[in-house]
This record gives sequence, structure tokens and C-alpha cells, in this order.
Amino acid sequence: MEKVTTSAPSDMPVMQGIKLCKWFGRVAALEDVDITLERGEVVGLVGDNGAGKSTLIKILSGVYRPDSGELRFEGQRVEMDSPRDARRLGIETVYQDLALVETMSIARNFFLGAEPQRRIGLFNLLDTGKMLQATEEMLRDIGITVRSAHQEVSTLSGGERQAIAIGRTMHFGGKILILDEPTSALSVHETNKVLSYINEARNRGLSVIFITHNLYHVYPVADKIIVLEHGRKVGDFRKEETSVEELMDIIVHGIEGDRRTKKVTIP
Amino acid sequence: MDGQGPSPVLGSRITPEPDVDTLQKHSFWKSLLHHREIGVACALIIVFTVFFSLQKHFLSSGTLGDIVTIAAELGVVAVGASFLMISGEMDLSVGSNFAFGGMILAMLITKQNWNPLLAFIVAISCSAGIGALNGLITLSIGIPSFITTLGAMMFWRGVALYLTQGWPISIFEDVPLLRWLGGGRVVATVHISAVWWLIIGVIFWIVLQKTPYGNWVFATGGKRGAARALGVPDVKVKLINFTLIGLLAGMGGCFQLGRMGSMSPVWGQELALEAIAASVIGGNALTGGVGSILGTMLGAITMASIRIGLVMIGAPAYWYMSFVGFIVVAAVALNVKLGEVISWKK
Repeated sequence: MEKVTTSAPSDMPVMQGIKLCKWFGRVAALEDVDITLERGEVVGLVGDNGAGKSTLIKILSGVYRPDSGELRFEGQRVEMDSPRDARRLGIETVYQDLALVETMSIARNFFLGAEPQRRIGLFNLLDTGKMLQATEEMLRDIGITVRSAHQEVSTLSGGERQAIAIGRTMHFGGKILILDEPTSALSVHETNKVLSYINEARNRGLSVIFITHNLYHVYPVADKIIVLEHGRKVGDFRKEETSVEELMDIIVHGIEGDRRTKKVTIP
Repeated sequence: MDGQGPSPVLGSRITPEPDVDTLQKHSFWKSLLHHREIGVACALIIVFTVFFSLQKHFLSSGTLGDIVTIAAELGVVAVGASFLMISGEMDLSVGSNFAFGGMILAMLITKQNWNPLLAFIVAISCSAGIGALNGLITLSIGIPSFITTLGAMMFWRGVALYLTQGWPISIFEDVPLLRWLGGGRVVATVHISAVWWLIIGVIFWIVLQKTPYGNWVFATGGKRGAARALGVPDVKVKLINFTLIGLLAGMGGCFQLGRMGSMSPVWGQELALEAIAASVIGGNALTGGVGSILGTMLGAITMASIRIGLVMIGAPAYWYMSFVGFIVVAAVALNVKLGEVISWKK
């Protein structure tokens, strides 16, 4: 299923963050965090609220610049000034609430910001035929049953919305898919569906960063799990090396010898 | 759920293929319900039925021509208001801008003896500039457009009053441009401004429905954060739409000057609310993201029909505002209820 081909050697990490730091005033939101993302790898990023998960993904998706540390994309050092720079590299971020415009049709959403056009006389008009066809193809591909691609997004379930956002990234040839809490508002059944789309994305060679505070959601699909706490990385495991119980213990009690940060919030 | 959790089958299709039958069983009546113009179409039919039953001459070509002519001047502004509203903003200053644009044209022709065409271009550019200024202030400072344009409404009305010392300006000589703008008639009682309105409406309909820019307008008003996250230049979209409504308000003023041959600095006081009313009757959401140019144009026709119809049945014209008020609430209520019915059926 390898559809994504790049010039970079395949053993090179697709993205690497080295000693990333971000300060807000005197508060360290992120301190010396390293992250490595291999091609076709699903990384689960877990941690409590305020652990630094969203700061980290905002750095990886071009929203923030790190105060120190560096980012490497396919081995090359990169500096991103905006989410647009990140998208140009092939890093697509699906935010929990900002993935789709509910008042618009599926087809209009799917191509938002990258509309196919055809020239008629002096004017560039939307290629609505192509929009409908490609969108319906994608919907069939990921297995969503809707009446038509004209249907308004507000009529879809939360899982279907996530699926469309993920399908969009696959369609536009993204290399990295960052999913911010994709399952937080979903039923068990819908969550399973979204997890299957993530698997599908991995099968196509995409790398996925999956942010969640629910370990049970990320564990089944993740190849690697990174645990953040108070802006620092407190765990970085391959799935084989760990268990849900061990990870849970780290999230709840902190790493050994750091039990002062004990918290009783259980995901 | 335990540690094993759900283990989805890799790459499998979880749900069955879409049923081809359900894709094609799309009955005519059902698909009709999906159009946002349905509410205004019902309102228009009711208004026509009521007036026709009271006064048989209501459906004469002369009356219909009057309705379209009256609708045109409101409608040009309403098209702009609708476009701006879909992108999530509002302009209360269009009435003042309308009078201001008409005043500039009248003054440049009568007092400065300018070439009328040049004067027209300067007048609508001034109005576009006023719109752009509203946009710049709103977007750069980040205050609600309701406030910015409320201030602008008062400010430019004051300027127009000062420039004319409160007197209307009339143009008595025959200026061909004014005939082209609104004085001339195309057929029966239909003035040429109705043709301009139709052309403007079609252009804006195409831009909204058939171009990438239209897609950005919907997205900017629908969910600004999502639009921005996908690279839509939301600030630019809003600024352009503020400028366009200014331009259209100025044009509306010039059309009226063309038709009446005079312009008063106090005209257009209710225009902003009328334009907003036409938009919401036509299915626009006040909160942005949703709307229709065709619906807005039908909304303007509905309002003009009420205005003409009341005169024809001999009712005091004071009732106009009450009727419009009733129609605004009724049409929006109908749209909301239909929306609920549709979402049940999905």
C-alpha cells in the first residue's frame, strides 16, 4: 500500500524535534523535549491537561516557533513561520473543533483552501464536477454512507467528521497527520472507526501523531507512546516495551522519584 | 474497555458501500426543501395572493414594473449586505453611504460641472472607500462591525448633511448618464436600474456559488478558525466584502438619483435595516456562513411588493414597516422549522 514516495532515504525519520523549548513569560511550557517520528509510524502523545501536548503540536504544525531547539523534516533543518509553511511540507493538522465548517457541504469542505478550478473565458470557476467526484470517491474509500457530497457537514456524526478531515489529508498527499483529540467526543463505536482510519493512513505510508488524554484510545493503534508532564518528556516507549498499566502509572504518579506531582485525574 | 481495547481490522471497510438506491432516490419535493429560498418563496406567494385578492390590478404589468424598480435600489444594497453577512459581518452605515454616494454624484455634476461618467466613478469610489474604511477599522482594531458601522452611519450622515446644509440637490437638465443609471425605462414601468440590479445579482451569485472566493466567503463566516487553519485569507475576504457593500451602497444611491433626478441627504435612513431584513427573509443567517443571493433578491421583491401593494389597496403607507416586520419573523420561523423537518429526515 506504499503510495507515498519521497526522495529522502526511507530509514530517515520523517520528522524530528530536538531539545524543543517554549516559554510563555517565565513559565516553561516545554522543556528540552525530543521527538522522533518515523515514516508510517503512529505516535501517541499523552499526558494530563497542561502537560505541554498542545504546545508541542503547535510547534510541529508551525503555529509557534520554538524558543530553542531545532526541527528537522526528512533530515533537513526547517523553520516554519506559519501553519501554511507546515502544510507546504506535508504536515496536516486536524484540530478537534476546527477541522470542518459545519454550515458547508462535504465537497466544499473537502477542497476548502485548495479548490480545483477550471477556466471559462476570463474567469476561474470552481470545478464542481471534480469536487463532487473526488469527494464521493473519498467517502466510498473510507466507508462513509451519505446521500451525497452536497450534504451539509452539520448532519454528520463526530466520527464521520474526523474521517473526512483525515481523508482530506490522505487525498492531498500529506506526509504527517497530526490529530488533536480526535476521539474525545465520540462513542466507542465511532472511536473504533476513527482508529481504523488511522490504521488506513499508516498503511498508506503516512506518519501520525495522535494527541489524547485517553490512553485506551491511543494504545491499540500506536507504535510508540510519548508521555509529557509539566512540559517535560517523562516517557518514550515502543508499544512492545510497555503496557497500559505502566503508562497509566507514569501519567498518574509521574516518573519514579517524582511522586510529588501526584495527581488523581484518571483519563 | 481493557488494555487490549478495540483492535480494528487494518484497512477494512467498516460500513457497507453506500446504497446506490438511496443515492438516487432523491425526490423532487424533498430536494426542493433543501433550498434556502423556500421560506422567501412562500412569503412572496402569500404577499402576492393577499394583495391580488384585495386589488385585481396588483398583477398588472405596470405594478410589477414598479415593484421591480423599487426593489432594485434596495436590492442592490441588499445583495452587498447578504454577501457581507455570509462572511460574518454587518454594515449599518449603508443608508448613509447610499445618500453620500448619490450626493457626491449630484454635487459633482451640478456644482463642479464634472463629466458625469467621471463623477459617477468618483462617487462610487468614495462609497467603496467608506466601506473599506469600515473594514479596516473593524479588522485591525478587532471591534464588532456593528459598532464600527453604527459610528460610520452617524458620521457619514452628518458629513452629507453638512455638505448640502441639509437641502436636497436636484438636477434639472437632461444628463444622459442619469437616464442610463435609473431614469430610463426598459419596458413598461421597469426602470433600467432593475437591469443593473439583475446583472449585479447574477455576478454576485456566480462569485458566491461558483468560484473559490465564494467558498472562502462561506467558510470565513461559517467558522473563521477552521477557514484560517486551512489557509483561507479570512481577513482579506472580510475586507473585500466590506469594500463591495460600500460600492453597492453608492451605486444604489446613484440609481436613485438617476430615477428621481434629486438626492436628499436624509434619504436611506432605514436602508441598512431593510437590506438586512431582505437578506434574512431570503434565508441568510444573521450569524454568517449561510445564505443565498437569489433569496436576498426575492426578499427585496417581497418588501417592494408590500410597499406598492399597500398603496394600491389604499391602506396608509405607514403600515409598510409593520408588514415587513411580520414577514421577517414569519419567513425566518418558516426556514427554521423547515430546517428541523429536514434534519429529522436525514
